[in-house]
Amino acid sequence: MIASLYRALMIGLLPIALIACMSPGRPTVADEGAAVPLGVDLGGSGPVMASAPQAATRPAFAAEGRVSHPQQGSEMQMAHEGRNDAHGIGTVNSVDPAQHKINLSHQPISELGWPSMTMDFSVAATIDLKSIKPGTRVNFTIEQQPGGMYEIQAIAPAGGGR
Amino acid sequence: MSTARILTLVAVLAGLATTAAGQTPAATDQPAALPGMSPGDAVQPVYDQEIFAHGMFSQLEGRWNGSNTQFRWEGQGWVGTDLDKLWIKSEGTLLSNGTLDDGQHQFLYSRAVTTYFDLQAGLRSDIDSRPTRNWGALGIQGLAPYFFDLELTGYASDEGHLAAKLEASYDLLLTQRLILQPQIEVNLYSKADPSRMVGAGFSDIDTGLRLRYEIDRKFAPYLGVVYEGKFGQTANFARRAGESTGDVRIAFGVRVWF
Amino acid sequence: MIALRISPLSGPTLCRRRFMQGAAAAGALSLLPWPLRTALAAPAPVLSGTEFALAIEPVPVTINGRAAMATGVNGQLPAPILRWREGDTLTLAVTNRLNEPSSIHWHGVRTPSPMDGVPGLSFRGIAPGETFVYRFPVHQSGTYWYHSHTMFQEQTGVYGAIVIVPKGGYAQAFDRDYVVLLSDWSFEPPKTIVSNLKFQSDYYNYRQRTLGTFVEDAEKKGLTAAVADRLEWGKIRMSPTDILDVSGATYTYLINGQAPGANWTALFRPGERVRLRFINGSSMSIFDVRIDGLPMTVVQADGNDVQPLTVDEFRISVAETYDVIVQPKVDRAYTLSVQPEDRSGYARGTLAPRPGMASPIPPMDPRPMRTMADMGMGSMDQGAISGMGSMGTMPMNRGTVQHQPTPAMAQGSMQGMKTDRGDTSGMPGMEANPEAKKLEGSVGVDNVAMMPTERLNKAGEGFPPGRRVLTYADLRALKPGSDLRPPTHEITLHLTGNIERFIWGFDGKKFSEAGPIELKRGDRVRFVLINDTMMEHPIHLHGLWSELENGHGEFRPYKHTINVKPGEKLTYLVTADEPGRWAYHCHLLYHMAAGMFREVHVA
Repeated sequence: MIASLYRALMIGLLPIALIACMSPGRPTVADEGAAVPLGVDLGGSGPVMASAPQAATRPAFAAEGRVSHPQQGSEMQMAHEGRNDAHGIGTVNSVDPAQHKINLSHQPISELGWPSMTMDFSVAATIDLKSIKPGTRVNFTIEQQPGGMYEIQAIAPAGGGR
Repeated sequence: MSTARILTLVAVLAGLATTAAGQTPAATDQPAALPGMSPGDAVQPVYDQEIFAHGMFSQLEGRWNGSNTQFRWEGQGWVGTDLDKLWIKSEGTLLSNGTLDDGQHQFLYSRAVTTYFDLQAGLRSDIDSRPTRNWGALGIQGLAPYFFDLELTGYASDEGHLAAKLEASYDLLLTQRLILQPQIEVNLYSKADPSRMVGAGFSDIDTGLRLRYEIDRKFAPYLGVVYEGKFGQTANFARRAGESTGDVRIAFGVRVWF
Repeated sequence: MIALRISPLSGPTLCRRRFMQGAAAAGALSLLPWPLRTALAAPAPVLSGTEFALAIEPVPVTINGRAAMATGVNGQLPAPILRWREGDTLTLAVTNRLNEPSSIHWHGVRTPSPMDGVPGLSFRGIAPGETFVYRFPVHQSGTYWYHSHTMFQEQTGVYGAIVIVPKGGYAQAFDRDYVVLLSDWSFEPPKTIVSNLKFQSDYYNYRQRTLGTFVEDAEKKGLTAAVADRLEWGKIRMSPTDILDVSGATYTYLINGQAPGANWTALFRPGERVRLRFINGSSMSIFDVRIDGLPMTVVQADGNDVQPLTVDEFRISVAETYDVIVQPKVDRAYTLSVQPEDRSGYARGTLAPRPGMASPIPPMDPRPMRTMADMGMGSMDQGAISGMGSMGTMPMNRGTVQHQPTPAMAQGSMQGMKTDRGDTSGMPGMEANPEAKKLEGSVGVDNVAMMPTERLNKAGEGFPPGRRVLTYADLRALKPGSDLRPPTHEITLHLTGNIERFIWGFDGKKFSEAGPIELKRGDRVRFVLINDTMMEHPIHLHGLWSELENGHGEFRPYKHTINVKPGEKLTYLVTADEPGRWAYHCHLLYHMAAGMFREVHVA
């Protein structure tokens, strides 16, 4: 009985051996008939200035940080009411008054088919960023600008926790 | 197996493990929180204490001596980190009459102690068709100079028997995939154990010369010639029972690991 | 964090779950906000400007006719070329669309520490679904690259080139400009590769010593010498055939994401000067690069200008970059031949006047073998002809670089190098290494270089005689360094490893077993690296320049990645002028993952 079991096992091992031959990592024959991939020419050097060799500079960086202002007030600020505005709800992470932008983590916006994301938004110029506090949960509306980027047109605290 | 002996063994193992754990260095302390991190965050730039697991059958073969066939396995597996691993080792032979012979199974905790060697301690259970025996085990395993794989383990049973096992093998590359491996295993016992047909002194040898072809690193069928021999008192036991004391067989099997 | 990894029996790697992810990602494309969508819908090979949107996501690829799921950026492998201008302030919004954390590190680009992209040191990483906005000014120019610094994503395709256009114009004129990003690709999951190496460290080495090679050796050197050689290596349980841990047995080598069969082509018009920006974006492969029939003028190393010098071939280690200018004058195709150091495969491209042209692929170069010098036993090369191929540079303090052939025998290293310290006591080439004795025998160390050699003027092994090969001694900065202070103290580190167990580290310790290297802001320090292992290690310090002391005094080159040869000792100076927690590690990905990593903390 053992002998027959053993014989069966040995016979069974042969196809396993053949299958195991097809181990990963052995490259197959090269692509044929495909177009040759060409490198992207980044352009020439332009006119060369004889006196400007590359400097191995060592700049010290000023601290780059996000500036946030403590805020008060809870009124809705609105730039304009537009029919194409999409509405969202989210939490303000930071406010950048210099660039007039805020960084928001928002819930999915079904009107645009957006999943929940964290991103920067430009804010309409007429909206006062001083009243928007990082950590606040907000309702907001956004509208696509001619350049393609979305801009916040209206924003107000939503009430409730994070 | 007496309770006292079991407890002693467990205590020794626990002691080894705690010493090892104590020596396992803690992760680097995190200084003040980084932007976006809360204090106590466990994010590391690299994770170099990962747990890996592997198993290998170095022998998985049929042995044929012209009249009957045996089936033999010998395998090992481990799970753990670079320094600490849990090992399992098992070997046994299924005889042509359906009984299981030479069953030895070990469960060991292994600690890397030198560049090439691990210190191992744990339990060995002889489980086969004969009465079961349990032993405490302590040994070393690793790569000896000139690329010999070496395992040397000593055992102590609860009845005061001592034993030792030496296993060595060498991989001789004939080509990149064709490898000739001489291998030897020797067992010694301090006292006879008649119900297991084991005598005192050098008990048995299991040695073979196997030629394997590595279709893949992890799968290599082989053909070999093996010799199982019994010595001294063990040979006497065998003769009295009408069994052979020395057997040469052809082996055909596969060496696999994952 | 502990994760259980059980490597399965080898099999195809296209995982159904990941394929669905890729399909879902493609479907989600249409739902993205406009600017991101434009960026992703049409894979753009080059992105310019100051605002960037990058998405790390699963990318289906076909390499050599075989499909796989890679991780890429904006639907591409390699990631898009980022084209920046020196002086600009950049905003890069990086979105992670993988199922696991991710990150992007700007390799060689000096940013404030929180923008450096190393999880656990710079920030906590980018969680799945999250967008992290990098913002930093750029005060340098040259060729750099970017890649994920999380797990093994760098192996599965998150790497791309950065080209920073200099404010004041280029030092040399050229008419065309191509990025040549070299990488290695495996169809095996990286975790499987590491797991295989942990069980059998020579898993991928199919050029080991056999009975056949013994017979060959005996015929060449005589039976006694061959036996003695085998015994010498056997005694220390090492193999001189260990060149690269992961080889062409699993790797396909790529040029700009293209396998050799695809024949990536760069076009030129005869007579034009073409700038080739070589980047080694691989995980584990050191490449030897040459263009058959065309000498190359090296003009930049690691993004910094060097005195132009012409070579036939250079060895580029992982994470290094070299910019060369070639001037093909004949209307024909030239083969760009890229061979990994262990000659287990190759990558291939073409420089041609028209697409579709090809030139014969030159035969493979000889495969190097390790010598006892690589083991740190000094420089007694046992009959190896290593010194002959490379023409080393004898540095002159006057600052001009001249090329002279080194004598055939190993005396090259005996002459040694005049280091900046002017240390020529006794034999400058070889130094005893007594403190390393302590490391011997420990679990993480399988060898200690007893007599490490200083041999920056040697290119390495595996080059046929007669070829001009670039060495570190040849690199001379075009402009003197900006910090001329001598170092106030030295930090000596041993590069160690146990190849049998596949453990790598510094001074015998893994990252988790050691503390940070502390520097004070403004420190001027010398790092001394001694490679106790028999493999090359490209050592990369984030955030600060490494000024390699190669005999050129104040014109020493500024590098971000320094390849230390086996058994070699070299030194470099660092000014700790940027505070933060900086990563410091071997850039061989699986060595880094196995522990060859440290934090350099500048307070």
